[in-house]
Amino acid sequence: MKQRLFGFLVVVGSALGACSSHQQDSAPAIRIRWERDPENLNPLILPNENSLEAANLLYSSLLAVDPGKQQFVPSLAEALPTVEQTDSLTLLTYRIRAAAVWDNGRPVLARDVAFTLKVMNCPGLPIETNQAQWGFIRDIRLDPADPRRFTLVCAGRSPEYRWSSGDYIILPEYPLDPQGQLRPFSLAALRADTAGNQRNPAISAFVGRYTQAQLDHHPERLPGSGPYTLEAWAPGQYVTFKRKPKWWADTLHSDLLPLQARPLTLDYQIIPDEATAVLALRRGDVDVYPMMPAKEFQRLRRDSGNKSSLQFHTTESYKMITACFNTRYAALQDRLTRQALSHLFDIPALIQATQLGMAYPSVGLINPTAGHLYNDSLALPTYDLVKATALLKKAGWQRKPTGGWARRGVDGTTQQLTLTLSYRTGDPAFETIALQLRAAAGRLGIVIRPQPLEASLFWEKLRSGSVQMYLFTVTGNPFVYNFAPILHSKSIGAGNFTGFGTPTSDRLIEAIAAEEQEGHQAELLRRFQRLMHEEKPLTVLFFLRSRLAASSRLTTLQVTSLRPGYTATAIQTKAVK
Amino acid sequence: MRRFLFPRLARTLPAAWGILSVIFLLSRALSSAPEGLTNIQGASIGGHAATPDQIRAAERLLRKRRGLDLPLFYITPAATATKQALAWRWHWHGTHNQYHTWLYSLLHGDLGRSFRDEQSVSMVVLRALASTLPLTCSAFVGIVIVSYWLTLLLARHRWLRPAVLAGLTVLHALPLFVVAFFLLLLLANPDVLALFPAYGLNRPESDTSWGEQLISSAYYLVLPLLSLVLVSLPSLVVQVDSALQHELKANYSLTARAKGLPERLVIRRHALRNALLPAISYVADLLPALVAGAIVVELIFAMPGMGRLLAEAAASRDFPVLLGAISVIVLARLLAQIVADWLQVWANPRIEAQA
Amino acid sequence: MKQPRPTELWAWWLAVAWLALVVLVALCADFLPLSYPAATPDLYAITQPPFAGPHWLGTDPLGRDVLAGLIFGARTACLVSAPAGLAAAVIGTILGSAAGYWGNQRLKLPAGLAFLLVGLLLFWGCFTGPGPWFLSWLVVVGLALVAAARLMRLSERVAPQPLPLDTIVLSLLALLTSVPQLVLALAIAAVWPPSLSTLVAVLTFTYWPVTAQLVRADMRRIRQLPYMEAARAIGLPTWQIMGRHAFPLLWKTIRVTLPLSLATLIGLETTVSFLGVGLPLETASWGRTLATARLDFTAWWLIVFPACAILLTTLALRQLPFYPFGKSS
Repeated sequence: MKQRLFGFLVVVGSALGACSSHQQDSAPAIRIRWERDPENLNPLILPNENSLEAANLLYSSLLAVDPGKQQFVPSLAEALPTVEQTDSLTLLTYRIRAAAVWDNGRPVLARDVAFTLKVMNCPGLPIETNQAQWGFIRDIRLDPADPRRFTLVCAGRSPEYRWSSGDYIILPEYPLDPQGQLRPFSLAALRADTAGNQRNPAISAFVGRYTQAQLDHHPERLPGSGPYTLEAWAPGQYVTFKRKPKWWADTLHSDLLPLQARPLTLDYQIIPDEATAVLALRRGDVDVYPMMPAKEFQRLRRDSGNKSSLQFHTTESYKMITACFNTRYAALQDRLTRQALSHLFDIPALIQATQLGMAYPSVGLINPTAGHLYNDSLALPTYDLVKATALLKKAGWQRKPTGGWARRGVDGTTQQLTLTLSYRTGDPAFETIALQLRAAAGRLGIVIRPQPLEASLFWEKLRSGSVQMYLFTVTGNPFVYNFAPILHSKSIGAGNFTGFGTPTSDRLIEAIAAEEQEGHQAELLRRFQRLMHEEKPLTVLFFLRSRLAASSRLTTLQVTSLRPGYTATAIQTKAVK
Repeated sequence: MRRFLFPRLARTLPAAWGILSVIFLLSRALSSAPEGLTNIQGASIGGHAATPDQIRAAERLLRKRRGLDLPLFYITPAATATKQALAWRWHWHGTHNQYHTWLYSLLHGDLGRSFRDEQSVSMVVLRALASTLPLTCSAFVGIVIVSYWLTLLLARHRWLRPAVLAGLTVLHALPLFVVAFFLLLLLANPDVLALFPAYGLNRPESDTSWGEQLISSAYYLVLPLLSLVLVSLPSLVVQVDSALQHELKANYSLTARAKGLPERLVIRRHALRNALLPAISYVADLLPALVAGAIVVELIFAMPGMGRLLAEAAASRDFPVLLGAISVIVLARLLAQIVADWLQVWANPRIEAQA
Repeated sequence: MKQPRPTELWAWWLAVAWLALVVLVALCADFLPLSYPAATPDLYAITQPPFAGPHWLGTDPLGRDVLAGLIFGARTACLVSAPAGLAAAVIGTILGSAAGYWGNQRLKLPAGLAFLLVGLLLFWGCFTGPGPWFLSWLVVVGLALVAAARLMRLSERVAPQPLPLDTIVLSLLALLTSVPQLVLALAIAAVWPPSLSTLVAVLTFTYWPVTAQLVRADMRRIRQLPYMEAARAIGLPTWQIMGRHAFPLLWKTIRVTLPLSLATLIGLETTVSFLGVGLPLETASWGRTLATARLDFTAWWLIVFPACAILLTTLALRQLPFYPFGKSS
């Protein structure tokens, strides 16, 4: 009976399988695996990487990153802005392309940029993130003669303003504010008094309209100037985007990647479990699998049976795994101890075990592929228990007869060298690192307790400064070298969880961020790497190679070192022979 | 019927209110900071350094927008460091507090909006239920039917018992995720048998007929369904089977056999009815699980549903969604209790005296 | 008394032998001549298959030795599931039997005592203060309440007040069972970092209702039995009725459920490990080894060995209550 039932299931299953695979062949969609739902497509919120990727399909920004060139290129703007500096302000002047139009044929104008900035500062809307990120834009001046030209007034000066002042998506004014009710309010006034403005009927009416539109799940109510429209979104299952038949950038025939969009349908499949996702890729249910687990990647690549159906890419990335020290914790206050502990990581073995060799070590936060910016005169971190012991003794630690280490602190109290190593749960690489460190430290008699924490708890502890050592992923980029968010003493309590910051390091960080000449900047960066190498508020374990597997029917994936690791809009299908 | 139902409903509603209040207060009191701002503190080199002041200001705004800046309850513990020998333990806040706001909107049928995507919680929960219920309900029906059939089979063909019971015990010892992976790797793997889709739900397509859609939806549900049934089956079968064996040894079964009834009828007409009694409460316990979804299966087969919704809401501290989903489960549980009581009375009228 | 069948006898002795082995291994885990320690990864030998090379039972994707993991996992099973199961059984038995025995009406506090308790609770609930001062206040208020009760001659005028024990326990049960166990575990993990004691507490906390429900129902039945009526009629003290006369009958139920609950708890711990919360990283457990299988699902040895350990233990625990020498049947 059971066998009969099973046989029936098999027959029904294969029959259905046959018809469903038949249906799939006719659809040329590019199907990409996402690990999680984008959750929210409200342009003011965009809570995760996937929602950012989706928003970039629906909307355009003034500037965009060209993954091929690895630099910012003009998208809605005609060119990078012209920069003018006064003593305390930076003035950036943009002009929008004449070809740029909204879906209804109206041109994209400076007015729309002003509208976007006002929405980003409109009290009563979820603007917290935007205010923190683009708060440096103080005002916008429209050119009375040219409706496409405008000037952004930014506080202070920094070379990165050239890019970051154009790196947000531009919203259309006409669907949400057809009467231009926000126009009378200046950006400065909206920014100034958040509570006072809310009582203004025009603003609260606008806030009402914005909230009512429920843009979180209905981006179609605010049509952007991007190449795609949202076709379907089943939360937790899939998100589908359809290419607009006529997109303004088509007329430009530009060779810049942000101005091209090839696939007619982009279909993001949300599959949380990795094993299921690998299966889906092998069955051809998914075409692109970015950041694949090393193990699966290696196995699929070695298996000759997959040669014909899959292609594999690796490239260096700017994502690095670091071990950080909370320098406010008494036992970790001196750099000798931090240096000693850095010698306990067996980095080559960790690279082999966690990434199967698909990673590379570095002396510091600069990618070794960055050429002259990378300080190659420094030694790579080594696994050396003898050196670690010597450094510990130099730092004043004494090995107790019972096995542990102790020393007399500056204030006369006895310090014990027992540490916790916190990290976010879920990544097996972190677990391996924690176990390796624990074992190595155990051989010296140092007690290190791994402490996996659930994401929100981990953030909470980082921010309150109650971690001791922690593992952390830091993401760099090839454009901007501004270490202030993670290492400046002003960011302690915000992004600098190590609590590190000396006057020297602060000055150096500021100088690097403000330096515009590349030669000087390289010199400063090399000095910075040396300083970090000695002070060791954090030690870079390795830079990851990003791994991507895709169906071999695709070409021009433009696999890059920048997130998300591929360029969805550039993908093409091979011509069927 | 009415005499049975009303007192129970009258007891159920305050119980639901109490449970939800406790969960509301505990969940908010235990975790201090809601998520939502982590993306501006992510570790990246470059970009603009938001200063601690800016972040604090942003957080204050966020808390205000979500109403988390209000006191939690009508009373909160007063500051502990009192110099006086005796001081009031509590501080009174009046009705302007989180609990009051929540209860007020709950009574008006408003479960609030999600912290993560500002969607109305009732929408989110309904959508999750819509994808959970087909799976869990069919699993429920499957479990009941298969275990009924299997117990009858075991009672009739006694030589099957050792093998089948041993198999069930092995199955019971395996965690759900192992069973699910096993099915996935066996029946959705291009290397072995790629009979079923590996993940997801059927996509509604406009050009197919209603019947075709139903069939292809069912096709997507086969593997998750199978893993749920396989895992829940053993305990029910073992329980009913042992009860049945017990009843078959009882005097009335002997009498029935002595009357010359065939064994089939002895089992069906007499023993099984009594043996099913203890199973009723077990089955009633399964009902809230129908609503709660199956987090492990939902994760592995990439299906949206209540289990994943609950887990994600708990992880990202999305209180409105968490509470909304739990309210539904609590209601289901309390209703299941009533249904179970009623079934017990219906099956065995002697109990009614105690109701 | 029936003669035990040889197969039953065998099964029982096998079960005892396996459990003894598990306990023995757990006790001596530190002294066994293992070639690899449990929590130290062998970074150059990750996901090694068994029976080939120095790792007898292979390694997991983090490079840990599976054999060592199983042996130290036996210790964890003894340290986590057993205490949690026992604690859940004890709490469940106490609360369940109290609720079943006394119900809502039968436990009556003398009016004076009830007055004192309620008064003190109210006082404690309303006021606070620095430690020693507050304690002395409590004493003063307590004495005042006693005096007041005496003066009003409460115990003579007012009938003893019933304590609604059954309602209290039932609502506690409803509260705990309304949240799915896994969600509760996940939520707790979101607040507290994992540790052995947290996990034991969480498992106990989520599991005692099961025992309590069974014991409560059983106690309600036992209470109605004629010999219990007789015991009450001859005026035996309550503790004697509960301990000497009711408990032996309850014990039958507990004896059957306890091993089963241990088995369930091992399974629950496994699933919690699968979801990435639960035990600290350096603690090996069967569930953790099994859960690493999701990182590399072709590694059959990560499923087979720990699953065998769990299965055998579960089977043995189930066999245990069916003591074949038939004293109680």
